[in-house]
Amino acid sequence: MDIFLAVFTYFAYIFIIVMYTVKAVKYIRMPTHLRWELYSATGKGEHFQNASCFEGTDRKDVHRKYTLQRLLFLLKEYFTLSEYYKRHTSYWLFLYLWHIGFILIITFHIFCFFGAVTMLFDITISSASSNVSGIVLYFAIFFTGVISFITGALGSTGLLVKRVVDKDLSLYASPLNYFSYAFTLAVFLSGLYAWFFVDPMLSEYRAFWKGLITLNYIHVKPGAAVHIVLFNLFLIYLPFTRSMHYITRFFAFFLIRWDDEPNLRGSELEKKLQELLDQKITWSAPHIKSGRTWREQ
Amino acid sequence: MKPEDIGKQSKRMVRISPEDLIPLPYPYDTAYDEPPFKELTKEQTEKYDSSLDGFLAIGIPKPATKEEEDALVEKFLSGLEKLLTKENNWTFLQPLFHSLEYCVKCQICNDSCPAYIASGKKEIYRPTYRPEVLRKIIEKYIKKKGRFSSFMTGSNIELNWTLLSRLAELAYRCTLCRKCAQVCPLGVDNGLISREIRKIFSQELGIAPKELHELGTIQQLKTGSSTGITPKALSNIISFMEDEIEEIAGKRIKIPVDKKGAEILLLHNAGEFIAWPENTEAFAVIFDAAGIDWTLSSEIVGYDAVNYGVWYDDIQLARIATRHAEVAKKLKVKKINVGECGHAHKAMIVIADRVLTGNLNVPRESALPLLEEIVCSGRIRLDPSRNDFPVTLHDPCNMVRLMGIVEPQRNILRKICPQFREMDPHGVENYCCGGGSGFAIMQSMNFPDWRSAVSGRMKLKQILEVFQDVISPDNKKYVCAPCSNCKGQIRELFNYYDVNQKCGIFYGGLVELIANAMTDLKRPFIEWEWH
Repeated sequence: MDIFLAVFTYFAYIFIIVMYTVKAVKYIRMPTHLRWELYSATGKGEHFQNASCFEGTDRKDVHRKYTLQRLLFLLKEYFTLSEYYKRHTSYWLFLYLWHIGFILIITFHIFCFFGAVTMLFDITISSASSNVSGIVLYFAIFFTGVISFITGALGSTGLLVKRVVDKDLSLYASPLNYFSYAFTLAVFLSGLYAWFFVDPMLSEYRAFWKGLITLNYIHVKPGAAVHIVLFNLFLIYLPFTRSMHYITRFFAFFLIRWDDEPNLRGSELEKKLQELLDQKITWSAPHIKSGRTWREQ
Repeated sequence: MKPEDIGKQSKRMVRISPEDLIPLPYPYDTAYDEPPFKELTKEQTEKYDSSLDGFLAIGIPKPATKEEEDALVEKFLSGLEKLLTKENNWTFLQPLFHSLEYCVKCQICNDSCPAYIASGKKEIYRPTYRPEVLRKIIEKYIKKKGRFSSFMTGSNIELNWTLLSRLAELAYRCTLCRKCAQVCPLGVDNGLISREIRKIFSQELGIAPKELHELGTIQQLKTGSSTGITPKALSNIISFMEDEIEEIAGKRIKIPVDKKGAEILLLHNAGEFIAWPENTEAFAVIFDAAGIDWTLSSEIVGYDAVNYGVWYDDIQLARIATRHAEVAKKLKVKKINVGECGHAHKAMIVIADRVLTGNLNVPRESALPLLEEIVCSGRIRLDPSRNDFPVTLHDPCNMVRLMGIVEPQRNILRKICPQFREMDPHGVENYCCGGGSGFAIMQSMNFPDWRSAVSGRMKLKQILEVFQDVISPDNKKYVCAPCSNCKGQIRELFNYYDVNQKCGIFYGGLVELIANAMTDLKRPFIEWEWH
């Protein structure tokens, strides 16, 4: 059982990393598309969103990049979900709790990993540790874990109920949506149970992670083991859901919404476009004249 | 009503009555009777399937046999497959893929759709409705998911002729204003999905509204303009314009045509030449006064900036953009300047940027920044008191939300219109005029009633609201709409509700206001005559 739990955990982490990488590469490697940008007003006063290169009389000179500001904007939206707050506050409340649950449960595992690494140096992770990093990691692991279990459980429950009772949402909900809420609820509740009844200081998790790093697998109590199994299943399940929007929204904003890269003569972009334009069209409506290239009439 | 209901047989999915529509402000509030919608004739209902909402924008003839129906379904599926491959749809695959895959159906985009809101929230107009129909078709018929997977994802849709005819019509109940895309925190673009559905019908089945395709892109490539204006007719129109300018300006201005090596090739929406020649005349007057080195073209396609392909067909889009660039190249102009036409701005300046390579990539710009430079630099003498009447600005979606050209037109109006006022919301958050994506020129059967009463309703509401303090017809007011299609829509909207008579509101372009403020002209440029 101890080995199974460890191997299953390795598998879950490798699986999600591989699947997310494959999906991300597939997304990024799609061909260059025609320009389809939007000049958003998501944040008033955020000049970089409305900085159009078409308001001047020489567009090439005023083409600017705002990578840092845009990244910060997306990160801010990522942590506040402010568009949801503005447009559907009751939905936002549960969505926000749910997302905080996700963010913190991932942070919790990252801290567990660092806690385990710290323990390798004979540093005790506890509130009374003689080493400051031991104290910091103790509280970081404790609070991220406990808060994630609580907010995630509240969020999953709230969203499940909201999807059922809100007509606008229920009309478009599939059994898979309800399953996802129920599943994440189980993940967070199992964490809550493990913390409350089995492992109040979350020391089992730290020891489990140390075992994963040192290949010296320890026995975990059933209550905590259930949570570890469910969380691993959750990691394996994630790539099959729309959850990758955590990452793809960055792609969508940078590669589509804000993509105003001009096609300059002799540029790499021009070369790519020329190849695409030289392809033969295979659409078959009468006016297309299948077999010609994109610009041929 | 769920997305999967679109394929179920029923006499009509949605019935809209005037009482369902959102209320309008005074004088269209309590005492006003909304005009009844024009019913389709018996012949029309027999010939076409109008079971979506009782309106017809395309009007696809009903197939005579089951075999014909099945063939159409097969062809649609073949088009849908092509839409999802990089070989056939490199042009929009990535944005489409993102919007299909990552919508979480949170519905926060709903309230940004003018048609959905104005209709009294009819389900089929919800921005997420048609994308969801397409997703379900893809899950079941393209990805061919198993029974369990289909159950879990809710892909229980029946693809049949009824669904196809309704989906084709439904793709033309979205103006592609992309206000829904603007508010989506995940970057999902439901407007794009409407456009991609249109593409399947056009590029694979050859089905598109007559005004966009047969009389639009096909006619433009063949005879020179979607208006039917030939190079010879253009020559007569230009003489007429010169005569009119002489009357107003007190001097004859020669409009340059086919001037080789000019700084600017000015491209107008050819609709202006016919419906609003004062717009093209105002450009000539201003450019002449400012000493701009410019020219028009008399080459086929070169005198009509429109590119309806941007609304329904990538191949037609590429062909027209290429013709525009070839004309500019032949004239050896330094750049193309696009007049007051929103979709031509977007098509020619933005989208065509990745269609035109090598020496076809002629610099292309909006006329608005140039006009701003002329007005704000003092190159022409202007007297703002000539425009001392209430003016509001309509933001064409293509120029503003889709290109970010927000300030030049405002800087001009602030300088020359003392009573300029903004609608709420405005700028990149504006509402579409309701005539976007070709609606303004589509006159099919009873579709104009839907366009005025439903898709244009939010804009009318905004216009009435901004002028409430001066709403009496005795006060002349002006809606500045620097876009031909928006002007066409506003004209139809005002006619439908008799706005000019009841409220004294006129509409027109931006250059007309500039010319009206010019002190060098013999008489005021704006005539305040409703036409």
